[in-house]
Amino acid sequence: MPIPLLGLLLVMPALVIVLILFIVPLVSSITGAFAVDGLFGFANFQKAFELYSSDIVFTIVIVSLSAVLIGLLSVAIGGYLTLGSNPRAVAILRWLYRWPLFVPFIVVGQILRTFLAKNGLMNSLLMQADILTPMQTTSFLDWRGIVIAFVWKQTPFVTLLLAGAMASLDRSMIESARNLGASRLRILIEIILPQVLPTLLVGLILSFVTMMSVLSVPLMINAQSPTMITASMAFRINAYGDYGVANALGVISLLTTSLVGWVYLRQTMREHR
Amino acid sequence: MEGYLNISHTRVRYGENEILKGIDLSVRKGEFVALLGSSGCGKTTLLRTVAGFNTPTEGTISIGGRDVTRQPPDKRGMALVFQSYALWPHMTVDQNIGYGLKLRRVEREAARQRIDEMKALLGLQALGHRKPAELSGGQRQRVALGRALAINPDILLLDEPLSNLDARIRLTVRHEISALQRRLGITAVHVTHDREEAMVMADRIVIMNGGEIAQAGTPQEVYNQPNSDFVAAFMGAENIVEIDIEVSGSSIGISEGRNNRKAVIDRGDRPLVSGPAIARFRSETVRMTAAADAASGAHRDGLVLTGQVAQVSYPGGLWRHVVHLGDTSLIVDAAARFEEGASVDITVPDTALYIFPRP
Repeated sequence: MPIPLLGLLLVMPALVIVLILFIVPLVSSITGAFAVDGLFGFANFQKAFELYSSDIVFTIVIVSLSAVLIGLLSVAIGGYLTLGSNPRAVAILRWLYRWPLFVPFIVVGQILRTFLAKNGLMNSLLMQADILTPMQTTSFLDWRGIVIAFVWKQTPFVTLLLAGAMASLDRSMIESARNLGASRLRILIEIILPQVLPTLLVGLILSFVTMMSVLSVPLMINAQSPTMITASMAFRINAYGDYGVANALGVISLLTTSLVGWVYLRQTMREHR
Repeated sequence: MEGYLNISHTRVRYGENEILKGIDLSVRKGEFVALLGSSGCGKTTLLRTVAGFNTPTEGTISIGGRDVTRQPPDKRGMALVFQSYALWPHMTVDQNIGYGLKLRRVEREAARQRIDEMKALLGLQALGHRKPAELSGGQRQRVALGRALAINPDILLLDEPLSNLDARIRLTVRHEISALQRRLGITAVHVTHDREEAMVMADRIVIMNGGEIAQAGTPQEVYNQPNSDFVAAFMGAENIVEIDIEVSGSSIGISEGRNNRKAVIDRGDRPLVSGPAIARFRSETVRMTAAADAASGAHRDGLVLTGQVAQVSYPGGLWRHVVHLGDTSLIVDAAARFEEGASVDITVPDTALYIFPRP
């Protein structure tokens, strides 16, 4: 058998699996979004925007806000791991920060539900410390709860990437800045951060896409409207069997992630040039 | 001796290992001192301790009478040039050189002037807007130097700044740095493992071994009067033979051995006692002649060794011979070529001979 044909045969199983399990469902849900009573049309999108435009905005704002907070926190944690002067504190933080990585989203939702509720652990602790009175307590089980869940779950992932990139920088670059009199905060912002910015961007984009696809957290924490697109899609299918509008919402969220995906690709292309 | 930079009884340990075992060193203002030693001898640790990146477990470091032992790196008035240059890749040459000024809140116009001054001093005028990745090794090295000098430090610390350069560039940069240091009159401490580099650049060489100072002195002193077997070997006296000596008054008698003739040499100021000893000498300091019959008395013109030529090569200038003396071999340079297998006499003049007690 000629070599090129043999090669094709070898990639065939993988290609078939990708085709059946990924390409076909993707194409069918995209075409499904444009199918109205068997004909091509935009009715599904029209309906999606009429009913769920606040959800779409809600989703993009929540996920973007979470990404910003994750970025700030991971820079702070990574910076402390790289520049911290107390070896014991650094070791404890290094050991601790990764734990949320191993907790599934649904469990995060469950934990935070009991923690953030009006009668939850957080408020009872605050009341015991006499910081809040029972009258002042509020439930965090709304958009704030989702942001807290996302940030808690995704910060370790971005920090893991970022701390690795920071650790691989030449130590003497940090020492030369200290030698000239730079404070640790300035070293982090002016010397370290510019050099790990591509890694931070990649981590945030991957987190953005992950957060866009989480269903369990909005269902567990935010049982009200507006909610996230994923919850609306599930509702559309489970309650009405309306695959058309669900597909249209899917295409909208795909376009959003494609946009950040494009930024990611452009970034990696620039790195490899 | 009270100098400008004083290091006294300084000990540094990393975990279980004591890297510096009590260093005493004093550097005068404007002096260029080279810390010379092989890797692991503690020279870089000493420099980093002076810079403030290591804290001594014992001892003090002071500058102009001010104790800085516990002060952070930037409060010491020192600038360190790193072996890897440690330039910041996201900043231009101007930004790298000007960073120390920015940290000191120097006014924009004054900073601009200082950066230009540094670039003119180091021949970097045309490169202000380049990033480090777009510079050659020599240029990067000069940017690192400019960044260190821009803040007008009292003391310049150099950590093997030439080791990443091509051999040819290194030779010119050596002279550039020492000329610059003299022009600015700045006090400098330079770490290197390269003997020749230390010799041509420094006013004073401090040879380190195993966390201690083996010898300190001018290049001529450490080259011509090594005080220990280690220093003699490190300064290029690699040939070694075992002899037995008898010290009497102002002379040293060398008894006849398997590979050497009986000889008497001047004692000079060698602090030796009678007994087994080792003699070291450099390849190019000897006279090689065809083997002659043993003279009846003792040789008076130096130590005479007898051996067979095993190998000849021409590295340029002189012929290099590997000469076997029983089971040891020596490397001997001579103007004339001796064929392989020839029996030769090697005369090491009194002044080129370094004798130490055999341990």
